[in-house]
Amino acid sequence: MAVTVRIPTPLRTLTKGEEQVSAEGTTVRAVIEHLEQKHPGMRDRLLDDKGIRRFVNVYLGDEDVRFLEGLDTALKAGDELSIIPAIAGG
Amino acid sequence: MLLVGLGGLGCPAALALARAGVGTLRMVDDDVVDEGNLHRQILYGPEDVGKDKLDAAGQALGPVARASGTRVEFVRARFLPDNARELARGVDLVIEGADNFATKFLAADACHLEHRPVVHGAGLRWVGTAWSVAAGGRPCYRCLFEDVPSGPQLSCDGAGVMGPVVGIVGALMAELALRALSGRGARPELWTLDGKTDTLREVPVAARASCPLCGTAPSILDVDEARYLSERGALAESASS
Repeated sequence: MAVTVRIPTPLRTLTKGEEQVSAEGTTVRAVIEHLEQKHPGMRDRLLDDKGIRRFVNVYLGDEDVRFLEGLDTALKAGDELSIIPAIAGG
Repeated sequence: MLLVGLGGLGCPAALALARAGVGTLRMVDDDVVDEGNLHRQILYGPEDVGKDKLDAAGQALGPVARASGTRVEFVRARFLPDNARELARGVDLVIEGADNFATKFLAADACHLEHRPVVHGAGLRWVGTAWSVAAGGRPCYRCLFEDVPSGPQLSCDGAGVMGPVVGIVGALMAELALRALSGRGARPELWTLDGKTDTLREVPVAARASCPLCGTAPSILDVDEARYLSERGALAESASS
């Protein structure tokens, strides 16, 4: 089951510049694991031993998955995940 | 209002606000203009390289500020824990366009503790974000990003910044500031701009009950310098370059 993942600029080095990628999984956790297989290094950029890193946000559509079921949030085919990290610069 | 950082975001924001006639525009920065700033920091020209940003900005803003009746004031300092709350307390609103996480979190904390609205902005490579937080409001910057990231982070110098991206985001920050000053308030939405796809998107942000700044049992009750040092040397670096 495929979902679309929007990749933010700081992580596009891992996706060879791709702004969005397709990934398989029925939960956010499974999708991140699949992303790790396809784009090694992604897991560490998104997760630490407590879960989603504190300065990274993962959205399912317009909902922050922290306010859903976190990494266990269920996904369905065609869903769109967005990764929104904190950025500093100007 | 107080503008923290006269870089790629602060320059267009200052220009828009000085023209809008916002009463007093107080700008805090202690950096000098570098040649590498010129592609995006639109108040400066090649003749300003090596000058204090405040001096160059004051010269550029002078005619439009006079025309609109805006008083431009300068604070030659960094925005640091020992002056942050006082600086925030002295204005109706803070606009933060700093280039490092520590200053962003410091601005969020100081403004919340002093019950001042704050507009945050950031830009890196092709992406920018802007967000307005009401006075003492929820959600706050820490609801979304929690704490200063640890480890190496992308910076303007290392990653680059597209000039038009910070131009758009800086103008958006000015608009959010004027909206807040006009009493229309802040919406709990993070604006994200992707300059590669020309996509401007509003992302809803929810308040966290466990937020250490604005949650039900806040633990951040002051701006303790140690809290902002997990990003190595962040507060010692420029706040606007």
